[in-house]
Amino acid sequence: MIEVAGLRVVFPPNVVAVDGVDLSVRPGEFVVILGRSGSGKTTLLRTLNRLVEPTAGSIRVDGRTVTGAGPAELRAIRRHIGMIFQQFNLVRRASVIDNVLAGRLGFVPPLPSLLGRFPERDHALALDCLAQVGLAHLAGRRADTLSGGEQQRVAIARALAQEPAVILADEPTASLDPALTTEIMDILRRINVERGLTLVVSQHQLDTALAYATRVVGLRRGRVGFDGPPAAVTPAAVEAIYDGGSPR
Amino acid sequence: MKRAAVFVGLVVFGWLVWDTGADPTRLVRGIPWIIDFLRRMMPPDFHVLPAVLAGALTTVEIALLGTTVAAALALPLGFLSARNVVTPPVFYPARVLLNFLRSVDTLVYALVFVAAVGLGPFPGVLAVIAYTTTSLAKLYSEAIEGIERGPVDAITATGATRLQVLRFGVLPQVLPLFLSYVLYRLETNIRAATILGFVGAGGIGFYLQTYLRMIDYPAASTALLVTIVMVMVVDAVSSRVRARLV
Repeated sequence: MIEVAGLRVVFPPNVVAVDGVDLSVRPGEFVVILGRSGSGKTTLLRTLNRLVEPTAGSIRVDGRTVTGAGPAELRAIRRHIGMIFQQFNLVRRASVIDNVLAGRLGFVPPLPSLLGRFPERDHALALDCLAQVGLAHLAGRRADTLSGGEQQRVAIARALAQEPAVILADEPTASLDPALTTEIMDILRRINVERGLTLVVSQHQLDTALAYATRVVGLRRGRVGFDGPPAAVTPAAVEAIYDGGSPR
Repeated sequence: MKRAAVFVGLVVFGWLVWDTGADPTRLVRGIPWIIDFLRRMMPPDFHVLPAVLAGALTTVEIALLGTTVAAALALPLGFLSARNVVTPPVFYPARVLLNFLRSVDTLVYALVFVAAVGLGPFPGVLAVIAYTTTSLAKLYSEAIEGIERGPVDAITATGATRLQVLRFGVLPQVLPLFLSYVLYRLETNIRAATILGFVGAGGIGFYLQTYLRMIDYPAASTALLVTIVMVMVVDAVSSRVRARLV
């Protein structure tokens, strides 16, 4: 589903964020990228849909080459990749349903969409996605009146509205307390199991990673330091992933 | 160093006082004349009220039409001069052009447009448009540069086009600010449009200046009172609406 080879990302002047990552994610996997902050998790995820431009290497998602794709091709690839962010990244002043509808932008006719008009089918789909995260009753509310946990669920609904093949989630629970962390991770697991969606989720919390992942990829200083099932994450492996630091 | 700066400051200040002929005693000696002037304005001559009110309406119309057109014209300019929307080759020329046009005041534009299209409210409208478009474009671009990056990333990640990203990621963030700026410009334009009449660009200023020239102070005081009330009403309404926006 995702093929990454020789990926390098260097930020000017010479900060190496991702340093030669090879990674192959199979359909239906729940991959958790584990690592301390600054290990390159966020950059790796953001490079997969080219919110960040890679310096070298190749990326393929769902059979399409992401690296080197032209603007139109890149948009066509992106619309099949849902993304969830640590800070939710909703448009605060817009309504909940408008935020979810944004997930349809890659599919609807562009001109009417600029006037805020979406086909009936897409409205229905957006409402359905909102219902799947249990928030259909808040469709008309302004996004910034919701709690943090609710906002992240809206963000998940927005990603689902893309009917994606893959969902990338960048530290989706880092801004939430432990109870909400479980709630959000449970929703992601349900999406993974019920829909067979491929998930790549970055996490800095070890116990959360081990509880949900079908596969753990440890990132250390921009390189893959561990790759295996949660059961294989030994104390020694943890030590290596966290670079001798604390797993918190 | 500090002493030298204070010394230089005092010297410059002294020179400014001398060169402008600033003399407080002259002001004190002039006070009776001010009192005399105010006394001759009393009581206001309300016979001219219909004409003055018509002039006030024209002033409001000039400000309203000019500000509305400028608010729309400033939109593309604002985006073209926002650092986080366009590349430097577009951004720098746009900024330089805006700063150049903005350095000329509405009144100067009015002089130019009166010469170009003749007397009346129309050159006033053109002058308001010319100045307000550039000043709003500057304010718009600053609002755009201050937006949150996150929602823009999120919309981009859905596969949206550049225009869709602007419409759904940027516009909802900046629109309330834009409206607030437009209302603020409307307030200042009402005041600016009052003066525009002095150079023949229509409105209440034309009456005020005519009465003063004819030494008809009671009529002038009516025009002045109407101007004050008009500005206060517009300010009050506009600031109330603005408070709800942000």
